[in-house]
Amino acid sequence: MTDREIDVALADSPTVDKALLERISRRIVPNLRAVRPLAARLLAVQLIAIAAAVAFAGASQIGFYAIHRLTDGQTAMIFPGLAILIWLAAAAATAAMIPGARQRLRPLPLMALACAALLAIFALIFRDYSTARFLHQGIAYLKAGLMDALPAGLVAWLVLRRGFAVDSAAAGAATGALAGLAGVLMLELHCPIFKAPHVMVWHTAVIPVSGAVGWVMGKSRNLKTPRTSRSLALPKSRAGG
Amino acid sequence: MDSDGELEALMASYQHGDGTAAAALIERLSPPLHRFFLAQSISGRHADDLLQETWLRLHQVRHTYRPGEPVLPWLYAIARHIRVDHFRRTRRLEAREQQLEKLPERAGAARPAGGGPDVEAALRELPESQREVIVMLKVSGMSLEEVARATSTSVGSVKQKAHRAYEKLRSLLAEEGR
Repeated sequence: MTDREIDVALADSPTVDKALLERISRRIVPNLRAVRPLAARLLAVQLIAIAAAVAFAGASQIGFYAIHRLTDGQTAMIFPGLAILIWLAAAAATAAMIPGARQRLRPLPLMALACAALLAIFALIFRDYSTARFLHQGIAYLKAGLMDALPAGLVAWLVLRRGFAVDSAAAGAATGALAGLAGVLMLELHCPIFKAPHVMVWHTAVIPVSGAVGWVMGKSRNLKTPRTSRSLALPKSRAGG
Repeated sequence: MDSDGELEALMASYQHGDGTAAAALIERLSPPLHRFFLAQSISGRHADDLLQETWLRLHQVRHTYRPGEPVLPWLYAIARHIRVDHFRRTRRLEAREQQLEKLPERAGAARPAGGGPDVEAALRELPESQREVIVMLKVSGMSLEEVARATSTSVGSVKQKAHRAYEKLRSLLAEEGR
């Protein structure tokens, strides 16, 4: 059998029971009302605004110590870099909530890219490699970053709920990565410790931890997805009709 | 207007609350969707249920379709989600069930008239990921880019799966012809 013959055999779609199609139409058409299509760009802009607002709010609570001590060169490296990563994460989270959207960057490569980019930037601009009080200070700042990522993630998820995730785990990971970047932004505005190991390990760690929490939450949501026909009490085809 | 443009126009009208457009979409897209479910080794009864479930879900989330974008990747991404959900539910149920007696063997699909090779049976032999790619490409007439978007993979991966699926289909059908 040639490829052409296989194509012809496959292209033949059998007809579907007319009664079934009528039943579906009867269920959908009478309840029909106009809906506003999801504005993907606006959604991404909202996510960027949420990440920035939560980071600034967090830093304003505990003090903008870092921003006053950073040199112009350091500021010019860190904040545009973070802005690009937040934009990429917002685009990935938005794409994850639109079925069939073109996904330029999946959550895992996004997190890997964000961590690699931040590690490179931090390695380039911080030269103090002392590790005094590395663990003690580090854990405190990791916690602070995650505490900032938490509200960012929750508000972002509320905004994203208007979409529909065909893969909740991926959508959760993308949202978690975005929230993690908000946490990193807050730390870069606040944290006065400019030791390279501290910044590279504990600040960057906020992204994978937050992304992993988002992934787990999305995965658990996947397992609890309600059955549509049950929730709308649609008569099942086996019930006849 | 081409077929894709027509679907996009119907979808935009559906979003504006046009019942005729909704009915036209249901009539036009249901046969390939039904075939999509049937090809995944799902029984006819379950395929009917999944088709209904897919349309209800599509209706709930119709605002997520963006005018001007291709309709089929959006539609099949949702259909795929429903199928995966069904598979997960079935697996959970099967894990709890205890088989009391041996079930009769499942009747094979009817051979095509004329005694030609059974493409449907060969299709069922393919791995799930290859099968869904072939059905989207050949039954629904989607492009490689559209299939990649519906399955959240790359065009290269879709091409590879389609190539492997064709190789396997050819060998299965050749074996059957002997």
